[in-house]
Amino acid sequence: MNTFSRRDFLKLTARGLLAVSGLLGLGIITRFLGYKPESPTPTEYDLGLASDHPIGSRTEFPDIPALLVHSETGFTALSLACTHLGCTLDQTNSNFSCPCHGSHFDEYGKVIHGPATKELVHLHVKQNDLGHVILYPES
Amino acid sequence: MTNRFLFISSVILLTTIGLTWWFQSRQVQPVAITPSLTGQIEYCLTCHADLKEISPAHPLETYGCVICHGGERLALEANLAHSSMRGGNNPSDLSVVEQSCGGSNCHNGDPTEDHDHIQRVMTSIQSTYAGAIANVRYTFGAQADLSPLLGTVAVSDTSIPSQTGILHLDAFDPIIETNPFLQTFGANCLTCHLNSKAVGDLKDTRFTGCAACHTPIGENKAGEVHTLTTAMPYTQCNTCHNRGNYDLRTMTFIERSDQPVTRFESYYQPIGQFTQCEYSLDCLDCHTRTEAMGDGDIHANEKDFEYVQCRTCHGTLTELPLMKTLTDPDDLAFRLTQLNPVVDLQLGDTILVTEQGEPLWNIRLLPDGNYELIGKATHQLFTFNPVMGSGCTQDGQDQSSAYCHECHAVER
Amino acid sequence: MRPNFYQHIHPPTIPAAQARWRYTLGAGGTAIFLVLVLVVSGALEMFFYIPSTGEAAISIQTISFLVPFGGLVRNLHFWAAQLLLIVSSVHLIRVVFTGSYAPPRRFNYLLGMGLFVLVILLDFTGYILRWDTGIQWALVVGTNLLKTIPWMGNFLYQTLVGGTFPGSATLVRFYSWHVFGLMLLAAILMIWHVFRVRRDGGIAVPPPELRGDPRRISRNELVHLEIVSMLLSGSALLLLSVFFPAPIAPGITEITALSGAASAPWFFLWVQQMLKWGDPFFWGVLVPLIVLTVVGLIPYIFPKPSRQDTGRWFPTSTRLAQIVLAVMALVITALTLIELQPVP
Repeated sequence: MNTFSRRDFLKLTARGLLAVSGLLGLGIITRFLGYKPESPTPTEYDLGLASDHPIGSRTEFPDIPALLVHSETGFTALSLACTHLGCTLDQTNSNFSCPCHGSHFDEYGKVIHGPATKELVHLHVKQNDLGHVILYPES
Repeated sequence: MTNRFLFISSVILLTTIGLTWWFQSRQVQPVAITPSLTGQIEYCLTCHADLKEISPAHPLETYGCVICHGGERLALEANLAHSSMRGGNNPSDLSVVEQSCGGSNCHNGDPTEDHDHIQRVMTSIQSTYAGAIANVRYTFGAQADLSPLLGTVAVSDTSIPSQTGILHLDAFDPIIETNPFLQTFGANCLTCHLNSKAVGDLKDTRFTGCAACHTPIGENKAGEVHTLTTAMPYTQCNTCHNRGNYDLRTMTFIERSDQPVTRFESYYQPIGQFTQCEYSLDCLDCHTRTEAMGDGDIHANEKDFEYVQCRTCHGTLTELPLMKTLTDPDDLAFRLTQLNPVVDLQLGDTILVTEQGEPLWNIRLLPDGNYELIGKATHQLFTFNPVMGSGCTQDGQDQSSAYCHECHAVER
Repeated sequence: MRPNFYQHIHPPTIPAAQARWRYTLGAGGTAIFLVLVLVVSGALEMFFYIPSTGEAAISIQTISFLVPFGGLVRNLHFWAAQLLLIVSSVHLIRVVFTGSYAPPRRFNYLLGMGLFVLVILLDFTGYILRWDTGIQWALVVGTNLLKTIPWMGNFLYQTLVGGTFPGSATLVRFYSWHVFGLMLLAAILMIWHVFRVRRDGGIAVPPPELRGDPRRISRNELVHLEIVSMLLSGSALLLLSVFFPAPIAPGITEITALSGAASAPWFFLWVQQMLKWGDPFFWGVLVPLIVLTVVGLIPYIFPKPSRQDTGRWFPTSTRLAQIVLAVMALVITALTLIELQPVP
């Protein structure tokens, strides 16, 4: 016969309550540590007047990092962050090379060689009402 | 037995933790804004979201709250949040105005660009009271002549002063005055200048500093204090002016004894003499920015910087009022119109200007040679003609207001 | 059954009479629990606190108002610290008033005194980390008191403050002391102190022939008692933290501009009162050091408790030591209360 005395019940319940308390405490700590101080990262960059970037121009913006290309078809932008582990690419002639682990990309962002496997990310650009080119970094 | 204690204390602990979670969930959700001028997050709107934006020239998204008021921008508890606010509920008080309203991009900037409001106000006679103090001290033997030596606060003028300008004033301190009349003067008579709080019945009608004029609470708008405007009605000026007169013998202020009802009755004191435009318009329709806020020099007497006369707008028998055609889109006149758009000024419009070149931007030349004026606070439209070519019989030499009043003053 | 670590550090049995709350007041054990709370809550705070003069107060406001349960963690840390000081004092008084400092426990008494000093220093350094207008007085006066010490004063000041004036170097040094230097010392002394309790024969008990109650409790029962005590203390701490937030004030912008009421932390109010009486070195450094030394040397300068007096409250053979300690405690409390009186 199963003897489950009052003592055992109290013991089990007490342990259960403590377990719940422990989980709540863990929850508190998790929520505490999960707080992100809101650092206002820009959601868009103003790259200046469209007229400053004539057709055929390829302008580097190392702070973003991005490359603005004005071709006959319009404005496009390439992210200059290496797709391997994120270093900012150097530009040599029209190609890009990564100083960290040696990845190479061509002028369209495709991988020539290197530990990187993915091509460079294309970023969204458009012109606003004042004729400025606005870049939207990947969200 | 310890098992029972263990059980009970487990229950207590769990209950307490539950209580803690519950309290946490009841915490107010913070409302953040990041004003573009500071780039730093503020949480004032968590409690003050329903406060009206102070003026179209100070939009919330650009300024936020902390850049003017100070305070702890992250605190969600009232006492802490308000503890480092500048000037209490009035950051324009002259003791803190330079930190709140100052800065070379704001109101403490280049005089040639008319951005030097703070420098001008702090040396202005409405702030220093220099002449009144000099007069009273001279009357009661505390100084040998009428030279202005003291003001309500110590102030210096570092730039070369004008002919009548003064370099420095020390602070008037009634405690160190030996004459008891001067001590009473300090106690009873220094409540109408920009550094002093209004007392008695006026207590809630007027702030100090910039807000004394630019936040017109007056008798009509008690409660709506979070406003800044350049369209102050005469009632705001009358929180200091036209209230009565001083009696030097008893060193008390005698309030005016009439019970005015209409604008006509309340505008000026019963002893005042005035024409129709002097009560139909507000004070700021005639008195210019320099007259009200000072010209940057320390003066002791109004006559050294008050200069607007009837002829400034009306001209004389032989001269038209001075005018200017607006050709520069950055002209001060356009800036002032933007702040108070009662008139739709365009490039090419001709407005009146004063003898010192200050734009009377709400007065425009009409094609038929007459002028139109739109009251800055009343929005009333007036058309008037110049004195030249009219039936006026003035003697050209005397242009004082008392002379014009002889014919044009209205009867009470 | 093989004991786990927690049971291993407790003796197999202890006399039941000495295990009762009314004998030890559970003060020593509660102190250990409070230290645990302090370490955990302090570690959590380290994720958000920034030891820079421009950002310290702001980071504390972030913790208090914006981080989920941040206010709770901060308040727990604050209350655990203040209660630790009180509980340590209770423990000290209990040890003296039960004559539990008799040999072989004299060295452990000294270890405890060392811990007591470390707790005060930890409390003070933690207080300074707020770097807000509330702590300005304590920072300026506390560091300037060092300068009054002859010969070594300026050197001590330079070492603690890291410059000629309290500034960013001071904050970094206080942070390092608080989070590491003092903590390391306290951890060593605490482990040693607890070890010495076992080495010296556990909680002081009367000699066997004088024990009225021969019963003993097992280590499991003892562990249960401790757990109950921790649960109840924890609940009390939580309630305090929820209903009474830790003090907070706007950040210091200019170290010289003292704002608000100048006040010392509560545990130094008695010193603030004495500083009104005269020479700062005498009243601010020397007298507190003398008090500390006298209390610290109680096992050495006062008559030892006789053998039949161990393990009970108010033994007659150590009456002098008890009176001296009681008078000191009362005077310090009185001075604190006087300092708290509002100035007319």
